[in-house]
Amino acid sequence: MNLIVYRYHEGMAEPRYDRFELDPRPGMTVLGALFEVQDRFDDSLAFRYSCRGAVCGSCAMLINKVPRLACRTQLSSLLAGKNQVSLSFYPAIEETISWNPEKEVLVEPLPHLPVIRDLIVDMQAFFQKYQFVEPVARPTGTPPEDERLMEPVAVRELEVYTNCVLCAACYGACPVDGKNQDYLGPAALATLYRFRIDPRDASGTVRLDRADTGNGWWACEFHGNCRTVCPKGVPPILAIGRARQELKSEKKRGERP
Amino acid sequence: MRTSTIHSYDVLIVGGGLTGLRAALRVSDAGLKGAVISKVHPLRSHSVAAQGGMNASLGNVLGEDGRHDSWESHAYDTVKGSDYLADQDAVARMCRQAPAAVIELEHMGMVWSRLEDGKIAQRPFGGAGFPRTCYAADRTGHNALHTLYQQVLDRKIPIYEEFFVLSLVNHDGRCGGCTALEIMTGEVHGFAAKAVLMATGGFGRIFSRSTNALINTGDGQALALRGGAPLKDMEFVQFHPTTLFGTNILITEGARGEGGILLNRKGERFMERYAPTSIDLAPRDVVARAIVQEFEEGRGFDGGYVHLDLHHLGEDRIRERLPGIRQIAIDFAGVDPVTDPIPVQPGQHYSMGGIDVDIDGATPVKGLYAAGECACISVHGANRLGGNSLLETVVFGRLVAGTIVKDMPSLPEPDIEPVQSAMEEADARIGQILEQEGGTPLITVMDALKETMFESFGIFRDVRSMQAGLAEIKKMQEKVSQISPGFKERAVNPALIRYLELEGMLLLAEVVARGALAREESRGSHTRTDHPDRDDSRFLKHTLASIREGMIEISYQPVRLGMFEPKERVY
Ligand SMILES: Cc1cc2nc3c(=O)[nH]c(=O)nc-3n(C[C@H](O)[C@H](O)[C@H](O)COP(=O)(O)OP(=O)(O)OC[C@H]3O[C@@H](n4cnc5c(N)ncnc54)[C@H](O)[C@@H]3O)c2cc1C
Ligand code: SF4
Ligand code: FES
Repeated sequence: MNLIVYRYHEGMAEPRYDRFELDPRPGMTVLGALFEVQDRFDDSLAFRYSCRGAVCGSCAMLINKVPRLACRTQLSSLLAGKNQVSLSFYPAIEETISWNPEKEVLVEPLPHLPVIRDLIVDMQAFFQKYQFVEPVARPTGTPPEDERLMEPVAVRELEVYTNCVLCAACYGACPVDGKNQDYLGPAALATLYRFRIDPRDASGTVRLDRADTGNGWWACEFHGNCRTVCPKGVPPILAIGRARQELKSEKKRGERP
Repeated sequence: MRTSTIHSYDVLIVGGGLTGLRAALRVSDAGLKGAVISKVHPLRSHSVAAQGGMNASLGNVLGEDGRHDSWESHAYDTVKGSDYLADQDAVARMCRQAPAAVIELEHMGMVWSRLEDGKIAQRPFGGAGFPRTCYAADRTGHNALHTLYQQVLDRKIPIYEEFFVLSLVNHDGRCGGCTALEIMTGEVHGFAAKAVLMATGGFGRIFSRSTNALINTGDGQALALRGGAPLKDMEFVQFHPTTLFGTNILITEGARGEGGILLNRKGERFMERYAPTSIDLAPRDVVARAIVQEFEEGRGFDGGYVHLDLHHLGEDRIRERLPGIRQIAIDFAGVDPVTDPIPVQPGQHYSMGGIDVDIDGATPVKGLYAAGECACISVHGANRLGGNSLLETVVFGRLVAGTIVKDMPSLPEPDIEPVQSAMEEADARIGQILEQEGGTPLITVMDALKETMFESFGIFRDVRSMQAGLAEIKKMQEKVSQISPGFKERAVNPALIRYLELEGMLLLAEVVARGALAREESRGSHTRTDHPDRDDSRFLKHTLASIREGMIEISYQPVRLGMFEPKERVY
């Protein structure tokens, strides 16, 4: 098989695509293949990694035109045409180079963030938006001596959102992020919602104000790509829909301007 | 020279895992100027991968006969688990602080799994007399690390991320900062500080078959050793019995805590023969050895694995308690534990040894401190109990930062000049590496090292294979100067980073080897077939390794006993 890899180095007018012929071991992941390239063919190939077990969020990239974690994506399943994902179309997944998905795997950097080198993108904008939603607990009153009690059900609801590993796959999959650089994006909004529904939190719906803007809750067009690509099953689209609902009904009841 | 500015802080924290971030909060709360340096974004630190949980004697779930857990009983289990090599004063400190550490995380907003009565849930773990392990499904490290990171962001503590620390600044016998390579630009930065806290995690990746993140290359231990601080008990390396066959991704002990059982090729629950009382939940060293013995006696599956069976727990319980494990098994082995057993084999998991520190976290080098997995304050001794190292990170992250706060007035202002010259040295060193000729590919040395370590210093050890292994390591150390990175630029150079990691790994490998050879006994994770018994008369002591005139020198330090007298360890 061939691995086709996007290459970029500062100063290049256009990115380049390199083709590497590999003989994949059973179970080899895209991340494994990138290491194989680094080890055997070209030690300059740059990509991020850490856990190799789909928990740290380092390795999101565009694989066969879908944002995925490289360490969780097996070459064999791509070549066999398994795990097909259909996304609401957006410009960043337009064809850049033709490839044969039965014999080739195409690896490109995550869209919507500036490329530093090869498959490494600058995550600064993504984390700034995360930080913008003020993701920190603001619990009620003085803390008790022991733990605050929580219903197991509440934990289950929260977990849906705390499972986010901040890999930014959703950010690279969201058509709105592609056209509006100021849109907070699915992950930041899902995080904000996570604090909104934390029963220990004192802020209530006031939390939602932070994104009650044209670049926050209201920018979402409900394409749903975020939920489709999320490797952790987080549904940002659901959080956004619910937050809007809450805001709307409060506004209707006159509890908000 | 491509060096950049010098940054000045009161306290520099190297490492952005749980230890580093907890320490950073303590430093900031004391009003000191601190910063965190990490070679990856803090959330990508290995801590994020911890699954099973954190021990604390909250007593939310009562033990058998309705007994309530206590810190003393936690301490006893820890000391026994350590095969009596842990320092008992450090263990007592950790176990006393444990409930507060768990509650503190909860107060910071961490989501823990809950019992029906709303309290933090606890599950049984290997080697523990009570259901003591507090957990967040099987994503405890993830939830904890994200929570601490949020607190660090909220306090606006500076983080230098994707900065690779190259050397510690050492002058007049004290540590006054460090140098670091900004990976994305290739610039060498200098950091001047009154105190440096190492929180750089473990060195599991010197072994093939490791559960650790790929970045766990032990840089911090190598930096400290070169910076004049000894390493302690490095021969004690934990092998986890259940890592996924193929990728060696961890399958948490929590899976057995929830009722999972191990089966050999004949379908026998073989642990009944090795640990009649605790069976599948015997401590890790015991279970790992049992599995290898099953292999050796022909009762393993081809390729070297046994089965971990969960299906009897039922889909609901697996979904609720072990969702991450289920996903890992599906994604990485194509097996759904709801219906099929998971193929598992033992793999390297944890580094009990580390930078030698006293009970307050200070190394013998003034101004240099260490905590977490990279340190050896010795709460784990010869074998760590599951759930104790997450606890160690937050307890000692905070306490050691507290030591630094207390020591601050007595620590001199750092000198800029030694930082400057350390930067020049680091810069020259990088230049030299990039110009190296010789044509040996890095990967051949790296792979050979990992295989040698697993083969010669793995679960079973003996003098002959260890001597052969050490000879290999010495050869590899010489070969390293013949590795020539193909890519010659400084900015974003993965070949350079991996070279720097490899150099340190080779140094640590030798330390492990020399410690293991000198320790002629079996204790905890260190199992010598040629010395099968524990020998308290000769080896109830810590191994220390330091560099003298370019050579590694081994010496010893007494164990601090206390509440519990050494006994034979039966489970
Ligand atoms: C798969 C797995 C599961 C585990 N599960 C559990 C569990 O359930 N319960 C439990 O108690 N323990 C568990 N452990 C152990 C526990 O996770 C670790 O011991 C603990 O997280 C270590 O934390 P730390 O903060 O000391 O180091 P780490 O989290 O490893 O952080 C090290 C930091 O140092 C930085 N660093 C390293 N080198 C450099 C350098 N050269 N320059 C700059 N920065 C550097 C890294 O970037 C990183 O930020 C598990 C371990 C594994 C492998
Ligand atoms: S919501 Fe999912 S895709 Fe988006 S950052 Fe979080 S884990 Fe990644
Ligand atoms: S390397 Fe951690 S998510 Fe892929």
